[in-house]
Amino acid sequence: MAAYTVPKAFPTTVVGSYPKLPSAQEALRRQRKGEISEDEFKRLVREAIRGVIEDYIWAGVDILSDGEQSREDMVVYFAERLRGYAPGEWVRIFDNVYFRKPIIVGRVEWVSPMALDDWEYARSVSGGRPVKVILTGPYTMLEWSFDLHYGDRREAILDLARAIRREVDEYLARGAKYVQIDEPALSTRPWREEAELAGEALEVIFRGVSAKRIVHICFGRIERILPYILDYPVDQFDLEFKNSNFRLLPYLKEYGYDKELGYGVIDVHSLQVESVEEVKKAIDYLMKLDIIGPEKIYIDPDCGLKRLPRRIAREKLRNMVEAAKLARKEWAGEE
Amino acid sequence: MVKFWASVLGGYPRGRLARYTMRDLDSGVLEPYKGLVELERASALVVGAQLASGMRFVVDGMLDWHDIFRPFAEAWRNVYLDGIIRYFDNNFFYRIPVFRGEPEPQRLVLPGRVKGLKMLAEPAGVKIVVPGPLTMVKMGRNESGLSDYDLVDRVASVLALEVREAVANGAVFIQIDEPFLSDPEASRDDARAAAEAASRIAREAGTAVTALAVYFDSPKPDVYEELIDSKVSLVSLDVGDAPARAIELLREKGCGGHGLVLGVIDARRIHDDSYSNVRDLVAKAIDACRELEEVGLTTTTWLDLVPLRFSLRKTYILGLYTERLAADLGGEAVIPISAKPEPYLAG
Ligand SMILES: [Zn+2]
Repeated sequence: MAAYTVPKAFPTTVVGSYPKLPSAQEALRRQRKGEISEDEFKRLVREAIRGVIEDYIWAGVDILSDGEQSREDMVVYFAERLRGYAPGEWVRIFDNVYFRKPIIVGRVEWVSPMALDDWEYARSVSGGRPVKVILTGPYTMLEWSFDLHYGDRREAILDLARAIRREVDEYLARGAKYVQIDEPALSTRPWREEAELAGEALEVIFRGVSAKRIVHICFGRIERILPYILDYPVDQFDLEFKNSNFRLLPYLKEYGYDKELGYGVIDVHSLQVESVEEVKKAIDYLMKLDIIGPEKIYIDPDCGLKRLPRRIAREKLRNMVEAAKLARKEWAGEE
Repeated sequence: MVKFWASVLGGYPRGRLARYTMRDLDSGVLEPYKGLVELERASALVVGAQLASGMRFVVDGMLDWHDIFRPFAEAWRNVYLDGIIRYFDNNFFYRIPVFRGEPEPQRLVLPGRVKGLKMLAEPAGVKIVVPGPLTMVKMGRNESGLSDYDLVDRVASVLALEVREAVANGAVFIQIDEPFLSDPEASRDDARAAAEAASRIAREAGTAVTALAVYFDSPKPDVYEELIDSKVSLVSLDVGDAPARAIELLREKGCGGHGLVLGVIDARRIHDDSYSNVRDLVAKAIDACRELEEVGLTTTTWLDLVPLRFSLRKTYILGLYTERLAADLGGEAVIPISAKPEPYLAG
C-alpha cells in the first residue's frame, strides 16, 4: 500500500455517508426483495465503495470513509446484525421514503463483525489514505429503535455499548487509526442526564482504545449539552457548524475547548455548493477566535452527505478541500 | 360531572396502499384523480378505526401530507421547498419551507378534504389540523424581508382563510399545531406571537371548536403563560412525554379558562400504555384545573411515527381508556355512536 501523508494542519475528512451510487441502490433494492445472494450483494456494494473512494480522491479528501453504501439506514443496518433485535415494520423517514424501524425484543449482543468488510475493502482501494471506522452509537441506536425488552434506558444503552465495543475491537486488531461513533440523537434531547448517559456508554466503547477516538454529534442544541460532554473520553468532537451559522463557536471559546475539532463547514441540507471563499472564511473565523491550533482542526461537512445528489456532494467536497489548502498556506505556512 | 371524549392528535402512517399510491402519484404513473380515489380508500381505513374506537372528532389521516408544512407551502406563492432536516427529536425529516416573500394562496388545501371526510365521518365531527404559524416560520427559513413575527402574522392570515372555508364545508374541530413552543429555545415573545396567530385563526372558525396544540414536551412556564392567553377554545398539551413537568405546569398556571386536551397515549412508542399510569395522570390534571367541565384525551403526538398496525392499536387503546376513565373518575364519556346527537353533529 502506497504511503499517504495526512497534512498536519487542517486535514480534510468526511463524516461518513455518501449518496448511494447506482450499484449500491440496486444491491439494497434487490436485498429488500430477497432477490440477491450475499456474494452478489457484496460485489455490488464494493463497486459502489470504489466509486465513492474515487470521488473522495478526486476531491482531495485526506481521511476517508466507505460512504456507508451498504447501510440503508444508520440504525437498521446494525440492528439487523445484532442479537436481540427484531425487524420492525415500515415507518416513514421523509417524503415517501421509509425504514423498518427495528424493535429490541431481547438482550442485545454482538454476534459477528458488522461493517468490517466494507471498511477493509475501502482501505484496499484508498491508495493509502486512512479510512475511518464509523459506527452508530448506542444512544442513537436506542433512541431510534422501539424497545419492548428493556424498559430501562440505561441498561439498554450499556448493552448496546458493549456490543459496539466488541465490534470496535475487530478494527483495532486490524490496525484502525480512526474510530468514530455517531450520536446524532444526542443533540435532539439536550439534557444533562442524557449527555451523561451517552458519556457512560462512550467510556465502555473507548476504554483503552489507542486509535483516534471521535464522536460525531449534529444539529439540535449542542450548546446546551456542551458543558456535560467536554470530558467525554474522546480525542475529537466532530460537530456541525455551517447549518447553524457557526453559533456554537463562541461557546467553545467560552468553555476553553482544547480537544481536536471536526469542523463542519459544508451544509448537507442545502443544494447550494459552498464556494472556496465561503469555506475559507469559515476556517478564518475559527482561527481568529484562537481556540485551538490548525493541527487540531479537521475540516469536514456538517454531517453525512447521503441526502445530496452525487454531483453536488462531489463539488462541495472539492471546494472544501481547496479552502483547506488555502488555509494551510495562510495559517500554517504549509504547501 | 366532567365529560370525557377522545380524538387522535393528528395524522396516521401510510399503509401499503397509500405508500404505493403516493409513489405512483409522485412519479406521474397514476392520474391525480385515480390517486385521490386510492387515497380515499386508504383514508377510509383510518377513519373507520377512529369511529369504531369511539373518537368524538376524526381526521382523514393526512396520508398524502409528506410533512405538516408541505401541502400549504406547495399551495402558496413565494414559498419554495429546500432540503430536508430533522423534525424535532424524531428520526423523521421535513422539507424546509423557504419564504421568499409574503405567502399568497394559489389554491386552498382544506375545503376539498373536509368534503371528502365529512361523508365518512358521521356521526363523529370532522377535525382538521393546520401548522402553527410560529412553528412554520421557525422551522422554515425566512428570506421574505419581513421580521419573523410579521411573517407569522401573514401566515396566520392565509391559514385563517383556509380555516374559514374548511368550517364552511363542515369542519367542526380546528387544531393549530405549535410544537415549537415546547422547544427549550422558545421565548415568551414567541409564545405571544403564536397565541395571537392562533387567536386570529380561531376568529375565522365560527362555531367550530378550536385548539392550540403543543407537543413533544411541556412548554416552559413563561411560554405557557402566554399561550393560554390565546382566544382558542382548548389548549392541547402533551402530558405523556414529561408527566411530572406537565402536571407541575397545570398546578402552577391552571388552564386560563380553556378546556383541556391531554396527550396521554404515547404515539412514539409501540408498547400498550399502562391504564393505571394514564388514569393517575388524568386524575392529577383534573385536580390541577378544577373548573374543567370537559376533558379531551388524545395521543402525545401524531400517530405517523409508528407503523400502521400500532397506530390502529393505539387508537383503540385511546378509546377504551377514555370510557374506563370516565367510569373510574365519576365522569361521562362522550362517544358519538352511543351519545345522543349534539348540536355540532346536526347538519
Ligand atoms: Zn450527523
